[in-house]
Amino acid sequence: METKDIEAYVDPEVYDLYYSWLTDDIAFYVARAKEARGPVLEAGCGTGRVLIPTLQAGVDIDGLDIHPGMVDKLKRKAAAIGLSPAVTVGDMRDFTMPRRYALITIPFRAFQHLLTTADQVAALRCIREHLEEGGALVFNVFFPSLEKLAQPDGEQALDMEFPHPESGLPVAMYSTRTTDRPNQVVAIEREVVESDARGYAAKTHRDRFRMRWIWKPEMELLLGAAGFARWSVQGGFDGRPLDNDAPEMVWTAWKD
Amino acid sequence: MDSVEGLTAVAPTGAPAPSPYVRADLYDFLFRDYTADLDFYLAAARAARGPVLDLGCGTGRVLLRALAAGIDMDGLDASAEMLDRLRANARARGLDPRVTLGDMRAFRLERRYACVMIPFNAWAHNLTTDDQLGTLRSCREHLEPGGRLVFDAFSATPAMIATPVAEPVLELEAAHPETGSLMRLYDGRRLDVAAQTQHSMIEIHEVPAGGGETRVHRFETLVRWVYPSEMELLLRLAGFARWTITGGFDDRPVAEHQGSIVVSAFTEGG
Repeated sequence: METKDIEAYVDPEVYDLYYSWLTDDIAFYVARAKEARGPVLEAGCGTGRVLIPTLQAGVDIDGLDIHPGMVDKLKRKAAAIGLSPAVTVGDMRDFTMPRRYALITIPFRAFQHLLTTADQVAALRCIREHLEEGGALVFNVFFPSLEKLAQPDGEQALDMEFPHPESGLPVAMYSTRTTDRPNQVVAIEREVVESDARGYAAKTHRDRFRMRWIWKPEMELLLGAAGFARWSVQGGFDGRPLDNDAPEMVWTAWKD
Repeated sequence: MDSVEGLTAVAPTGAPAPSPYVRADLYDFLFRDYTADLDFYLAAARAARGPVLDLGCGTGRVLLRALAAGIDMDGLDASAEMLDRLRANARARGLDPRVTLGDMRAFRLERRYACVMIPFNAWAHNLTTDDQLGTLRSCREHLEPGGRLVFDAFSATPAMIATPVAEPVLELEAAHPETGSLMRLYDGRRLDVAAQTQHSMIEIHEVPAGGGETRVHRFETLVRWVYPSEMELLLRLAGFARWTITGGFDDRPVAEHQGSIVVSAFTEGG
């Protein structure tokens, strides 16, 4: 799959609104970055939701993202608070950075935008090459939800409601999912509706994207195929074990 | 469906029940008339135009029929009890099978085969990725160039995953061919979705034909399921050159499988 096939994804101007409620992973990734004994790279850094707080914590962190609009937005946000991080437009399946890293992170399921086994292995190999000896890759992907997998395709569902980060007015996020089970790909059509003060829909944002889900033994095969020798997995950012009810798989893989 | 009251207490809290394969006689009586996969595997064996190996040949359900049909088929199984039963079944039919006691994850046979088959979900006894890769690599090493590995593999459906605990249900009922007792097989399941394993608690009830007390035999099995994409990764890592995966013995698309996928993988050359 060539870079041009990467999907448009979400408008960078509204991305931060969409995920304003998501904060539990930031503390986790900032803590991992502070523990690292050397430079850090965040692959899929987006608008800097995690990267900017990590910079503010004093970490030497670079960024990589395939979407120029996201990288521009990150740079503008960083400049507004007097920071100028090294962020590069690039493809995690095939990138070359001048530095080697003690830690490479892929927060918030960005790995799941890789839709084929070949893409997944290419990204893991390229990341491994950019790690120092003893360096670690830390990333999270969703643990396939048993309820969502059994849901019928094509029915719109309310995922969540949250207050607008600036106005405090309600924002609702709806998704319509279509699953391709043999290929483990879910296509998501999303509507994000901002309400006005009277409760009427004032603005609707629409986007669509696809994600591939990954099972635990499959991820172990992928890590092994990419040359990683050791790894561990948790069921959430709080370090809970991975069981059938876990929402997330949080992986750490080491380069020996 | 019979009442299964009281069966929810099947899973004992103490020592686990044995594998059903230690009672090869009961296994044989219950499954020897299972025929849903026979046409498929016998056709694969004929199409191979060369020697065939049946991995997990058990009591000879497939292998003895193949021999009777003039197919050159060898067998391998990890259970001495099952192979004893196979040999007794073979004698009764005047057949002389070549079967070996061995582990499908690491076996060494003299011959090379045009086709290796693993019928009846015996593959699912490979519980870890290392087990799976060991089996696939052992199979590949025993295939001639261009040879075919063919097997059916448990693959959980979304419906199964959404209800990971199933209470025991009556799955099979047959008359014991020697004693005339009614034999009933109850199977309860518990899925571990993260580990992709199914723990089955099996009870075989023998109800004497002339009345009297029902004898209950308890067994447990642990099997592992594989998703289609994961299977492709395993085949690739084990060095197979190409493969097809379907959703059943009727060649339906893999997307339409009902809990079992059918894999054909080929070695380079030929």
